[in-house]
This record gives sequence, C-alpha cells and structure tokens, in this order.
Amino acid sequence: MRKPQRQGKLHPPQDDLLSSCCRGRIELGDVTPHNIKQLKLLNQVVFPVSYNDKFYKDVLEAGELAKLAYYNDMVVGGVCCRVDILDGQRRLYIMTLGCLAPYRRLGIGTKMLEHVLNYVEKEGNFHSIFLHVQVNNDGALDFYKKFGFGVVETKQHYYKRIEPADAHVLQKTLVKS
Amino acid sequence: MDPKKQQLPPKENSLFKRILKCYEQKQYKNGLKFAKQILANYADHGETLAMKGLILNCLGRKEDAYNFVRQGLRNNLKSHVCWHVFGLLQRSDKKYDEAIKCYRNALKWDKDNLQILRDLSLLQIQMRDLEGYKETRYKLFELRPTQRASWIGYAMSFHLLKDFDTALKILEEFRKTIHKTTYDYEYSELLLYQNLVMRESKKLTEALKHLNTYESNICDKVTLQEIRGDIMLELGMKADASEVYRGLVKRNPENRNYYLKLEETLGLTTVEQKLELYKQLKEKYPRAQVPKRLPLNYARGEVLESLLDPYLRAALQKGVPPLFTDLRSLYDDPERVGIIEKLMNRYLANLEETGHLCEEDNEYKEPASILYVLMFLAQHHSYLGDPDKALTLIERALEHTPTLIELYIVKGKILKDAGDYVGAYEALQEAQALDTADRYVNSKAASYLLKANLVKQAEEMCSKFTREGVSAMENLNEMQCMWFQTECAQAYFRLSQYGDALRKCHEVDRHFTEIIEDQFDFHTYCMRKMTLRSYVELLRLEDILRSNRFYWDAAQTAIAIYLRLHDHPLSANTGDKDLNTDQRRSRRCQEDAVNFERKMLRILKGVAMLGRMYEAQRTVLEQSERGKIEMARACAGVMRDTRSK
Repeated sequence: MRKPQRQGKLHPPQDDLLSSCCRGRIELGDVTPHNIKQLKLLNQVVFPVSYNDKFYKDVLEAGELAKLAYYNDMVVGGVCCRVDILDGQRRLYIMTLGCLAPYRRLGIGTKMLEHVLNYVEKEGNFHSIFLHVQVNNDGALDFYKKFGFGVVETKQHYYKRIEPADAHVLQKTLVKS
Repeated sequence: MDPKKQQLPPKENSLFKRILKCYEQKQYKNGLKFAKQILANYADHGETLAMKGLILNCLGRKEDAYNFVRQGLRNNLKSHVCWHVFGLLQRSDKKYDEAIKCYRNALKWDKDNLQILRDLSLLQIQMRDLEGYKETRYKLFELRPTQRASWIGYAMSFHLLKDFDTALKILEEFRKTIHKTTYDYEYSELLLYQNLVMRESKKLTEALKHLNTYESNICDKVTLQEIRGDIMLELGMKADASEVYRGLVKRNPENRNYYLKLEETLGLTTVEQKLELYKQLKEKYPRAQVPKRLPLNYARGEVLESLLDPYLRAALQKGVPPLFTDLRSLYDDPERVGIIEKLMNRYLANLEETGHLCEEDNEYKEPASILYVLMFLAQHHSYLGDPDKALTLIERALEHTPTLIELYIVKGKILKDAGDYVGAYEALQEAQALDTADRYVNSKAASYLLKANLVKQAEEMCSKFTREGVSAMENLNEMQCMWFQTECAQAYFRLSQYGDALRKCHEVDRHFTEIIEDQFDFHTYCMRKMTLRSYVELLRLEDILRSNRFYWDAAQTAIAIYLRLHDHPLSANTGDKDLNTDQRRSRRCQEDAVNFERKMLRILKGVAMLGRMYEAQRTVLEQSERGKIEMARACAGVMRDTRSK
C-alpha cells in the first residue's frame, strides 16, 4: 500500500517556523521495487537532469540513503545519496533532494535533509557531506546554507544539457569528535 | 440368495468389525486386507463387498467402488449396512436425492440406527426436505432425549416449517434444563435464537419481556439493544425506543442506521425537524461524520448550501479522495448539483487567487486543496456527461501532483465512461506501475483491459497477485474471482470466441453450485457451536443464492451466447478461433446445441429460484424447442430489465 512504514523517532521535535504553518503529516518511507516508478516520475518533474537506469538500480540498494517523502500519504519528495571515498575519506554525496513545487516551504526538504544529517551522525565516520547546485538556484543555496553548508568550489560546464551549465559545490564538513 | 450365507461365523465376524474400524480410522490398506480374508471363504458376503467398495471409493477408485457396492447390495438386500454404504457412496458423489432413498431403505432394516438417522437428517436439510427433516429429527429426539443437539434440531425443524408455537415450546422446555449464572456465550446465542423465533412469530410483547428477563445472560450487548429498539419501535413504544437508539448512537456514532431509526422513533416528518435533530447531534458528537453527512440528504436551497459549504471545505482541507463518491447520491436533483458546482467553482477561483478556499478563511494554506477541487470537478463533469471538460481538469490536477495515483484512476474512469477503453486501460496501467503492490489498482487495470477485450494482458496483469506456479486463469477460478470471470466472458463474447466465453460462464455457475454444496458442513458445525441465528440466516441466503449479481451477469451472457449460437450456428461462423477444421467445427456445434438446451434450462432454473420465473420455467419445460428459445429470450429481457432497475 501507499502508506509508508512509520519511521522510528529519528528527529527531535522541531520548532521550525515552516512546520508550524502546515498541518499536513510528513513522513519518510523506503524506496522499493514497488514504488520506484514514483521516485522516477518525481525526479523527472523536479529536476532538469534525467537519471539513467543504473541510478535507480543503485537507489534500490541504498537503504537509508534513499527515501521518499510523503505528505498526507502522497509522494511529494525524494532524496537519494551515495557514499564517495576521496583521499581515503568517506564523504556523503547527495545526488538528488527534491520536492514537488506546490509542496515546498512546508518542511519536507528539512525533514529529508535532517534524515541525512542524522544518518551521518549516527554512522559517525563521515568526513563531510557535499552536493552540486546549479549556480542560479538561489532557493536551494539558501536552504543548504541554513543547515551549515557552504560553497567550496564552482565547477564550470558541470551540466551538459542545461543552462546555466555551471554548478556550485556545497559542502558541510563534519566536526570530528 | 441364501440368507444363511450372509451370516458370518464368529471369526469372520470379528474381522468384519475390524474393517469398520479401519474405515473409520482411514486405514484403508488394512481394511482391504481384512476384506480379502473374509471374501476368500465367503465370496458372496454382501456387507463385506459393500465395505470393500466404500474403501475403494476413498482411495479414488470410483468405478470399482460402485461395482463392489452394487454387488454387495444384490447379495444382501436386507442389510442396513449395504444400504447405508450405498447411500454414503452416492452422497460422496453429491447425488443427494439418491442417497436419501438409500438411507430410507437402510432404516427399513434398522429403524433406530442413530448414525443413519443423523446422516439422513443432514441430507434432508441440505435438500430442504423440511417435512422429512422434521420426522427424522423427531426420531433422533425420541432416541436421544438427553442430547442437546436433539432438542435444538427438533425445535429448528418446526421453526423452518414456520410452526413457531411448537418450536417455541420445545426451545423453552430445553432452556429450562439449563442453569447458567456465569458468562456462557452458547447459552446467550440460544436465548437470542429463541428471541428470533418469537419475533418471527410476531409475539413482540413476549419477545421484549424475554429480552428483559435474560438481559444479564445475553453477551452480545449491541445486538441486544438493536433488537430491543426494533421491537419497541414496532410496538409503538417510541419514547423508549428513542432512548435505546440514542444509546446506540452514543456507542457508535458512525452507524447510519441508528440515526435513521432515531428519526423514526422521534416521528420526525418535516425537513426542519430533521435538520434540528442533526444540528444537536453534530454538537454532541463533533468528530462523527454521519451526523454531518445525513442532513445533506434532506436540505434544499440555501440551507443545503450553508451545510455543504463547511462539509466540503473540511473535506478539501483534509484531503478526502472519495469525496465525490460520498456525495454522488445527491446528484439525482439538478438543484443540488447546481449548488455543489457553484461552491466548487468558487473554491477553485479563490484558491487560484489567494491559495485559500474562501476569502474570510483564517485556516492555513493547504497546498493539496486545489488538487482535490480539480479532482472533484473532473468527476463531477464526467458524471454529467462532459468528458472533455473533465479531462482538462484532471490534467491540471496531474500537473499539480503527478504522483497521486487516484488521479490516474479517475482519468481512467472518465475515459472508460466516455467509451475510450484503450485510453482507460492506459491510464490504469500508469497507475499500476506507480505502485505495483496495490492490489486494488491492479484489479482495476485488469478490469479495464477486459473492457478493451485484451484478455491475455488482463490475465498477465492479474498474475502479479495470483499464486506462482499455476496459470493466473486457473488460480482466479480456484479463488472464485467472479468479477474477473464475468467480465472475461463478456470480453470473449465481444470477440466472438463463444466457446471460451461459455466456459467462463459455466465456471461462475459452478462456483454457485459449490457454495451450495459447501453448506453441508455447516449443518453439523452450527448445531454444535450453537450459532443458530447465523445458521438460519445461512440457510435463507443459500435459498436465494443465485440472485447474486455475478450469477445474473454470467447467466445473461450465457443466454445471449446460446441464443446467438442457435440463430447463427457455428458452422457458418468463423469467429471462434478455437476451431480450425470443418470437422471439429461441426462436432462442436452439435455439442453446443445439446449443451445449449441443458444449460439454458439450468439457468432458467436458477432464475426460477428467485420465484420470479417459476411459472415461466414450467411453461418452458412443457413447450417445444422453439418455445424454450422464445422463453429464454424473454428471460434475458426480464433479467436485463430487473438489473437496470
């Protein structure tokens, strides 16, 4: 059925301005072979980039690193990450994190990003989290900056078929305890 | 035959007893061994031959079984064992009429045999030979007056014959023998059964008194109150009945029936009175849906608008996908339709402008509200026969939230109702792909594929949920999945694959025969478990079982095909893809013709069970072939008319 499995208490209750103005129920659910088409459809609508079959095959193996976001039992968002190892350091790469336009600014992105942040904190051995954002995407830049991400690099001609083709690399370095 | 020969000496006699034991304990191999030992010396011993036959039947050797049992019976026509065995054999083949005859013969030679009497009573109730059943139950009652089942069975035989007074007398005598103070569900069921008989005999005052007396012994409190309310209402004790129903509403404020009964007890006639009642109940049960929904059925004009507005807004704010289905019953009145449309259009305009459902709205902005408005309006316009407008709206909804599966289902339905079966199944296939674990969507997709005559694809669609290892068709038949089978028959019919279509119709028919046969086990089970009210209900349901919609659909298709086959014999028809050579074709035609007559009569018989067509059936049986066909035609017409009503 469509209803996602209820997650354990992953997040502490949040006093976010965004979530207080919205009374819908936000939940995260697993990506399975049964509902993967919903993720595909969602990504097609949300992102200008299209992802190949290999991407979705890997997503099915990703466990907690790939999630669907439900708003009142409707799929409205999704997040997909993978683990990259660079110079012997484990880094979490957010491949996609998106939400359908009418459901933005309701706390759904926050819920997904917090899930990712909680994951890396629980795992404990990540050096950093990073992602690419198209240079003109101010909304995304503001969103990630709120969570402590910063632009560390700007790649020229990162995207092949979209304009502008440049991308910022956003990164949040995790404090070693 | 020498009767002395049928008497076994002590040694063989003890062997024979061991055969009986082996049969009961299902040690069939040993049973056969002992039978062989007896038959070595007494090859003509009837009872041994019969038992050998019975055991062979259990081992699946039907033909041998009949030979041995018949031979045994010929050798000893005066043996109750031989007759009983023959009866059991017939019963295992579902030849109940024949079996009853055998048991009666057996009882001629051993009139007090309990086992035979019990078996006979089961067959009699199965065949609804109520007079015979009463006699047999009397005999059992006489022989075993200390057994509970004897009393119950005897009383029930009178109840079913509508001799309520006798039934009640027996039940009351039986009840007196029971002394219960603690919780006992079986006693409680007995009391409720007794009460049912009282009510059916129209002894309402007595029934009410009975309830009051035994209230503490009746465990099912909800049923107790429901019955109490009904009796009071029927007796005209309206004030008391109101109290009872108010109590029931409090207990379950989502049961429509309680509210409707409450209206009745209060003697509300005008719309204003009813609306006032629901106004109070809404305040009393603010979380209940029913007191909000029911007044919409009564109100008109501005009052209706003032009630609908908050009802719709709450649903749109919350996101209730079946909102249209919920309100569809209001669409019989153009004025109400107009009000709904006006409100919905206003919401749409407001949402487009401000994001709120209405101007003075202080509620939060619900992003999905507009989605549900669009979805509702799409269904609304489709229902009113404007598929183009409906499609435009549903496409807008899909643009808003392309991941909402319900939208694809609505789109499919709009296309289906507009006659675009291909577009319809394509929409449902999309929906199905989005959540392959959803069985409802899967079935809906299969159903639409059948509407488009794509039987093979429909089967493949269903196979995602049927058991692995067997073909989906087979498994669907096994599961008595009748919506699939009737729709499949219609698809084959449209494709002119008459053989395949008829096969599906007959599969459905067989399900009904099976359901009636399955009843058999309940005769003993319910008696033992004391679930007498449900048992009587079951018997009554089985009596009108073939009035079920699926049976009517299948019968209608079958009759239409048989009529077509008669009017256009298959030899001139190349449509049936099963047949490729002329020879096979002509043979099949002949078979079909024979089948045609037999099955048509059976279908008519099924219809006759409803009581509507009884006369017609008799005339059919008496008249010529041509007459039968005319009759079937008329019958098909009647069925169609009845259904469309």
